[in-house]
Amino acid sequence: MKGYWKYFLNKLGWFLITFVFAFILNFILPRLMPGDPVAAIVSRLAQGMSDATGVQAIYQQYADLFGTNKPLLDQFFIYMRNVLRGDFGFSFSQYPRTVADTLKSALWWTIGLQFPAIIVGWVIGNLLGALAAYLKGGFDKVLMPISIFVSNFPAFGMAIILLVIFGVTLEWFPTSGGYGFDLIPSFSWKFFSSVIQHYQLPFWSIVLIAIGGQAIGMRSMAIYELNADYVKFARFMGIKDRKIVGYVFRNAMLPQITGLALSIGTMVGGALVAEIVFSYPGLGYTLLNGVMGQDYPLISASTLIITVMVLTANFLIEILYGVIDPRIKAAQAG
Amino acid sequence: MGKILLDVRELSTKYVTRFQENVYAVDHVSLQVEEGKALGIAGESGCGKSTLALSLMGYYFPPLHYISGDIIVDGRNISRMDPDDVRRLILGREIAYIPQAAMNALNPTQKVISFIEDVIRVHDLGSSKREIYERARILFQTVGLPEAVLHKYPVELSGGMKQRTVIAVAVLLSPKVLIADEPSSALDVTSQKMVIKMLMRLMEDGLVRSLIFITHELPLLYNVTDDIMVMYAGQMVEKGTAKEVVFDPLHPYAKGLMGSIIVPEEGVRGVKLTAIPGAPPNLKNPPSGCRFADRCKYVQPACRVTSVNLRELPNGRAYRCIFSEEELREAYRNG
Amino acid sequence: MKHTLHQIFHSGKFVLGFCIFIVILLIVMVYPLLFPYPPLAIIGQGTFFGPGIYVNVYDSIHAPKYILNLDDAAAKRIASKLSEDDRVAMQEWLVGYGISPEEIDINDTEQLLGLWNTHYDSKAQIPGLTNAKRNYYIRLNAALEGLLATEDAVIAVKNPETGALEAQRTIAQSDYVNVGQVANVRFLPLGTDNFGRDVLTQLVAATRVSLQIGFVAGTIATLIGLTLGLLAGYIGGLVDDVIMFITNLFTVIPSFVLLILISFSIGQERRGAVTVAVVIGFTSWVWTTRAVRAQVVSLRNRDHVNLSKLSGHSIVHIILNDILPYIASYVVMAFILQISSGILSEAGLSILGLGPRTTEVPTLGLMMNWAMIYQAHVLGKWWAYLPVLITIALITFSMNLMNTGLDQVFNPALRD
Repeated sequence: MKGYWKYFLNKLGWFLITFVFAFILNFILPRLMPGDPVAAIVSRLAQGMSDATGVQAIYQQYADLFGTNKPLLDQFFIYMRNVLRGDFGFSFSQYPRTVADTLKSALWWTIGLQFPAIIVGWVIGNLLGALAAYLKGGFDKVLMPISIFVSNFPAFGMAIILLVIFGVTLEWFPTSGGYGFDLIPSFSWKFFSSVIQHYQLPFWSIVLIAIGGQAIGMRSMAIYELNADYVKFARFMGIKDRKIVGYVFRNAMLPQITGLALSIGTMVGGALVAEIVFSYPGLGYTLLNGVMGQDYPLISASTLIITVMVLTANFLIEILYGVIDPRIKAAQAG
Repeated sequence: MGKILLDVRELSTKYVTRFQENVYAVDHVSLQVEEGKALGIAGESGCGKSTLALSLMGYYFPPLHYISGDIIVDGRNISRMDPDDVRRLILGREIAYIPQAAMNALNPTQKVISFIEDVIRVHDLGSSKREIYERARILFQTVGLPEAVLHKYPVELSGGMKQRTVIAVAVLLSPKVLIADEPSSALDVTSQKMVIKMLMRLMEDGLVRSLIFITHELPLLYNVTDDIMVMYAGQMVEKGTAKEVVFDPLHPYAKGLMGSIIVPEEGVRGVKLTAIPGAPPNLKNPPSGCRFADRCKYVQPACRVTSVNLRELPNGRAYRCIFSEEELREAYRNG
Repeated sequence: MKHTLHQIFHSGKFVLGFCIFIVILLIVMVYPLLFPYPPLAIIGQGTFFGPGIYVNVYDSIHAPKYILNLDDAAAKRIASKLSEDDRVAMQEWLVGYGISPEEIDINDTEQLLGLWNTHYDSKAQIPGLTNAKRNYYIRLNAALEGLLATEDAVIAVKNPETGALEAQRTIAQSDYVNVGQVANVRFLPLGTDNFGRDVLTQLVAATRVSLQIGFVAGTIATLIGLTLGLLAGYIGGLVDDVIMFITNLFTVIPSFVLLILISFSIGQERRGAVTVAVVIGFTSWVWTTRAVRAQVVSLRNRDHVNLSKLSGHSIVHIILNDILPYIASYVVMAFILQISSGILSEAGLSILGLGPRTTEVPTLGLMMNWAMIYQAHVLGKWWAYLPVLITIALITFSMNLMNTGLDQVFNPALRD
């Protein structure tokens, strides 16, 4: 097991470094760009806007909280301290709601949607790809063009198509929101069933997109593995086909898991856009509102949260890989 | 003449390409392997020797297809057996196969002992992990492999070690015939020697009762095999004892092959090396006459007319040419 | 080189993708020459006019008239005013009123109208008639007045002095105009969008801009990736470690997040199309860097490289002459993919509202954004978003095809 611990610590260290780096980037980038939103906030404050004092108050609280008049390094530590406390300030567009408050609910909606969707899509995609490689013939010939077509569709495209077909034309599912407009979140069955109903289209959009991406890759991997020498040898030692498929699947899956870790960023990005299409009350929608409302604190916090989400997902997947690939434990121990 | 463990008669198999074309890779090949003996199959790349090896076990899957012929293993005709029976009874037990570049023949994510367990279990020869482990341990000890290898993943073993492990696994069930397809080609010289030694030892210890040794490395054949079969373009073109074929080849191709060996022995010093120009014919449409005609130094118009049959000589020798022994020897003497 | 080109153009996938791409390029270049309409000009007052040929009614009054006597003209006229649903509704009402169904043939317009006019009474009590339905029938009845009339229509002009209407000309029901002779006709194959802009013209312009953005972004990303990959792969050592460290960092940090942050911070004012392209280019070089580096590493110990080193050639010389030609194929493929992903990134940004300035040029992403904000997909105005989507998909598809084709040429192992 020593080998695994070495691997784990390595990945953990990497996770922490990347996290720190992302944190710094999230802080620095906006302030470096020509349209520095923080400087804009400061200057507006200094100008004493002629708007209602309410707007003034919004900027004031931001300046107070994040110390925008202090030197950059001080600002950074203040920022770090605030974030670790969970305090992102008040949202400009939804004052007096705090950013943290807005994010909290949105975060759970997003995780609740994307986490299962990406996993389900990944699993189904890989299964289909492996089946296509193994069964060949008709199944393969049908699956391939569909996969190619689907994988070339932009993520939001899939979302829109599903929305139009199933939401608008067939009216099987609602077209927006996370739950019925007339409902308030509660622990009632009515609420839950409404949530489930609204969940369908966004969920299946993301699943389909994931399937499209995975199926082709897995098929290629599986074909490659099926032609490997160990398959030949196992066959000629009398091993049953079914068992051989098990060998192949395991071997082909490993690079797929690695691939998932690498592409989780893009998948989440695509899923966020899908959320927007459905006006699903997740982080995507929050971002959109933030952009439309010029709500810098909200945007900055959203991007940070999304980054952390992706980093964590990446870390978890790599840990999982270490568990599944037996060579990890063995190689580093010997 | 010892017991004949493998008797192949007029075996023909083909590959079917993606475009539904037939490639007649093995054309009416006959061979026999005696108990306790090693048969070498020699020939250049693409002559069909590997395909022949794959065809000998009676188990075919696309794109390789059986056409005709008989394969009799220790008295049992397996050519028309049900594939499931072949898999259960023949593969690994009667005949075992070691693929080329055997170091890749092990599943990278499976421990050696795990694969051994799978093999034993599928042949219904025992199921207790402890029994299987014991059996494997004894086998490894016999063939000179360290017991630790059983617990390792292929990635932790060296090339030579992997090769020997594959051989060990192949003989797990004490097959009557072991087919080794280029067992040493991909290795360095030292490892080569170890592999050959291992094979020889297996024969001596009786773990393997006969051996088919496929190679394009001719120098090996004389030292390792008892009989040699030369293949060209899917057909057998010469057969005889090792000594006969190496030192007194009859078929012009065999002659050319042996002439291209560097033999560091006395009396051979002054002999020139000869290469055989040209390339083998396309097996999608085999030529009607002798397949070697285009490259043969001694070709005559008659060679291309009708297909050439095998000439069988007494004492088991055979060769495929329209000319008689005397005519050929005469031609060779004259250069 | 010639042989490679020959192989490339014999690869089915590449040729197909290439053709699609060239067709798109041609349309983008030729269309504005043929139809020099400004893409963002608001021509429609009102939202989402459907696709069709728009004939100016005023001009058609004054256009030369031709008399055509077509048999089905009358029937078509009535049919356009009386839809299938309406007929069924009328039948329902009549049956509810008490007429037996056998007497009603909904396809016999005259009979149906006759029955209706005889029996319809807005006050009649029909079982199961809701208020809404009742109002519907009242409206229907009003609309049916004079449906079968055959009088001419009269165009009257107001007398500026007396204010009275003076008949100017009459239009008979058999008067036709030749569309070609009508002064103002506008063909809008894709209708108008929510602002009233010609969708087709916009689409062509947007495709052009998106392609430009993709091209610029792709070039920048490929150049960065190429440089970093070369340096990391060839020089190795510390340089390699540093570059790979940075690359690995940026692999996991999602590039779209950086894209969002930067785009937002630049602010709408400064976000021209080129700026957006540059930003996209600077955040998407990661994959290319890795690919190039992997190739260079495998090349760096090849014999011809060692030979050059021994001959004393400078690093730059070696890189240019010995390494570049071998990775050229990968760079080309990477470039194609970067263009494609650049276009998609721009689309994603625009949907978020962080795309290029909306007042100057349309992009494919912006068109999608507008369509979605104005609920085109929910309202069923397919022409506002579907053609855009298809265009994006076609561009991506053609580029992926080209890439796969190239891949199979350069890596025979992948040929199926």
